[in-house]
Amino acid sequence: MSPGPGDGAAAVADIASVRRRHRLILLGLLGLLVLTFFLAVFTGYTGPIAPVSGDRLSFGEAFQGLFGHTSNSVFFWDIRVPRILFAGIVGAALACAGTAMQAIFRNSMADPFIIGVSSGAAVGAVCASVLGFGAFLGSLASPLFAFFSALVTVLVVYSLGVVKGRVYVDTVLLSGVAVAAFLGAVVSFIIYYAGERYDRLIPWLLGSFADARWSYVEAAALPVVAGALVVYLYGRDLNAILMGEETAYNLGTDPDQLKKVMLGVAALITSAAVAFVGIVGFVGLIVPHMMRLLVGADHRILVPASTLFGATFLIAADAVARTAVIGEELPVGIITALCGGPFFLYLLRRNRIRGEAK
Amino acid sequence: MKAQIKSLSFSFGEKRILKDISLDISDGEFIGLMGPNGSGKTTLLRCLMDYLPSEKGAILIDMKPVHTLSPAEIARIFAVVPQSSNTDFPFTCYDIVMMGRMPHIKSRLSGETAKDAKAVREAMERTDTWRFSGRLFSELSGGERQRVIIARAIAQSPKAMLLDEPTVYLDISGQLEVMDLVKKLNQENGITIVAVLHEVNLAAKYCDRIALLNDGRLEAIGAPQDVLTPETIKSVYGVDVVVRKDPFTKAVYVMPRSTTAPVHRHGTRVHLLCGGGSGGPIMRLLHDGGYGISAGVLNVLDSDYENANDLHIPVAAEIPFSQISQEAHAENLRLIDESPAIVVCPFPVGPGNFRNLEAARHALDSGKRVLIVRPATGQGIDFVGGKADSTIKELISSGAIEVPEEQQLLSQLSEIGR
Repeated sequence: MSPGPGDGAAAVADIASVRRRHRLILLGLLGLLVLTFFLAVFTGYTGPIAPVSGDRLSFGEAFQGLFGHTSNSVFFWDIRVPRILFAGIVGAALACAGTAMQAIFRNSMADPFIIGVSSGAAVGAVCASVLGFGAFLGSLASPLFAFFSALVTVLVVYSLGVVKGRVYVDTVLLSGVAVAAFLGAVVSFIIYYAGERYDRLIPWLLGSFADARWSYVEAAALPVVAGALVVYLYGRDLNAILMGEETAYNLGTDPDQLKKVMLGVAALITSAAVAFVGIVGFVGLIVPHMMRLLVGADHRILVPASTLFGATFLIAADAVARTAVIGEELPVGIITALCGGPFFLYLLRRNRIRGEAK
Repeated sequence: MKAQIKSLSFSFGEKRILKDISLDISDGEFIGLMGPNGSGKTTLLRCLMDYLPSEKGAILIDMKPVHTLSPAEIARIFAVVPQSSNTDFPFTCYDIVMMGRMPHIKSRLSGETAKDAKAVREAMERTDTWRFSGRLFSELSGGERQRVIIARAIAQSPKAMLLDEPTVYLDISGQLEVMDLVKKLNQENGITIVAVLHEVNLAAKYCDRIALLNDGRLEAIGAPQDVLTPETIKSVYGVDVVVRKDPFTKAVYVMPRSTTAPVHRHGTRVHLLCGGGSGGPIMRLLHDGGYGISAGVLNVLDSDYENANDLHIPVAAEIPFSQISQEAHAENLRLIDESPAIVVCPFPVGPGNFRNLEAARHALDSGKRVLIVRPATGQGIDFVGGKADSTIKELISSGAIEVPEEQQLLSQLSEIGR
């Protein structure tokens, strides 16, 4: 019998059945990702799954467009495929960073933005846009500004929580909250004076893949894949630190080194994701929760499972954002928050009720 | 594993936690760290495994300074069992025990091998936790969780185990279960044990040596019977205790003793000779009637001993299931000398406590008022072949007053105060 969280019964585990189960789950999630990718490619105004019949394609036409050379090929390969790939990369980055943050803060309420990434990026993006740096940096001005101001913010939050080389995670957490509130006020202030140019910022502040293109994919893919790999390789250490820092130390982990590496990697991949698309909330919070229900808390399976499912989740959310309202495109952050908020409340209530029952 | 702690000092900011501690731990011994709260026991454990860097002095593990060892090397030497462990995250017990193999897995790229799986299984079978290996750790009871944590420590295959009050949240059966398991690991596998313990009698029973800390200093070190003396305990914990030897295990047995006689409305003291629960109702009666009470000789664990403790009255005590010793008898006579009246409760008299009747004779001879409560009809109290009954008759004929019912005690005693 394979062990799974919530089995409750006296299931007995052994290494072979655990491994088999892990392999099956990862294969399943990979299959789901591929399936979602194709469904997303076919979803939209140019595609077989379209909300209005206007220029709906047949599946045959769509396949030909995708794998052959038809008048639709350019659209698929220059616009939709990179957009979907980028949504997948961002979803993977946020879910993977969220998993790491929840582990090192030993708090399931943590998310990748808890250390100030989102508010820092917002200040950078808003500054770039309002101050008109786009004039000489082109379309990359906003992402570059967002990326670096996110990293600087994380560095400030982090150094507020470090004393003599020891990282105090509760202080980091509270510093993140305070710095985010402060920077939120700065953003509001700038927007207030920016007047009509504010309109251009809304999609970014709510997260949107509308501008995604191959250059984004190329810029973000490497750091995100490398970062996720590092988090995965530290999986055992993340398990250990959930039992407390002293226990982690006693199991041969250096807890301070672990916290530094994880904070660094999470900051890097989250900033890279957020810089281009803006603040996509809830993915980094709820995907690790959903995966924990499925695979348990062992990070050697939880990290890859969350990373895969984060990609799937955001690709699907973006497909909905593209097609939910006819003739318009919604910021994807609205979709994730609309799904994520209620789901999170459901988890919260369920855990509370379970806790009471004990 | 051999550890040498040499003139170790440690401070948190301005506060000095450990002051010049020197202690050698030899291979395979079971050493208990004791001392009041805040005396530095846990800090000493943390310094020993280099979780806290010692600032002055040195710690050598098998002749190597501990700070030259990597966390993984230290984790292959020491396994830690904390007071309690929990996590909100859904780890199975198997996950938890497998964590113990971390220091033995070569690199981040390698997975667990069949050898690791075997170590986990053996550790879990040894602690009787294999049957819930697939269950969630957070759903277990405190005692089960502690056994899983010990399984993790075993799977770590350490040379020494550091235990920080491993039994503090467990009930008595859990306490004995955990300590027996640890003792077995110590004896059968030669694992050195360093355990912070609060319960003196648990420490006395299991430890080869006890190191007693007080305010960051090493107050005493040695075999339990040499360290756990009334004088040392008084000076470190500030409480009065009686120390006896358990007749079965020869382990020393420490019992608290309350010495301050309560001042009551009357100022009249009454000493009870009782046992086997015979004194309980009478204690309550006299207590409510405003008398100061003492009692003796009572075996610890006797329900009358508990009754006396509840009322915080002075007791001449003896360890469980033992004959009244000369020391306890002398203490009893001393308490009798302090009281103008003695009540002989209808306690079952056996060879072990016959001395309590001799104490009644002593009281009568020294001019005290002796009241003998008659046992309920049909309830014999003589388990020494008539000797008790005849002694009681003798006492009555030489002036002791027989009281047919407990309730009449108060009227009999009220005459003394006037």
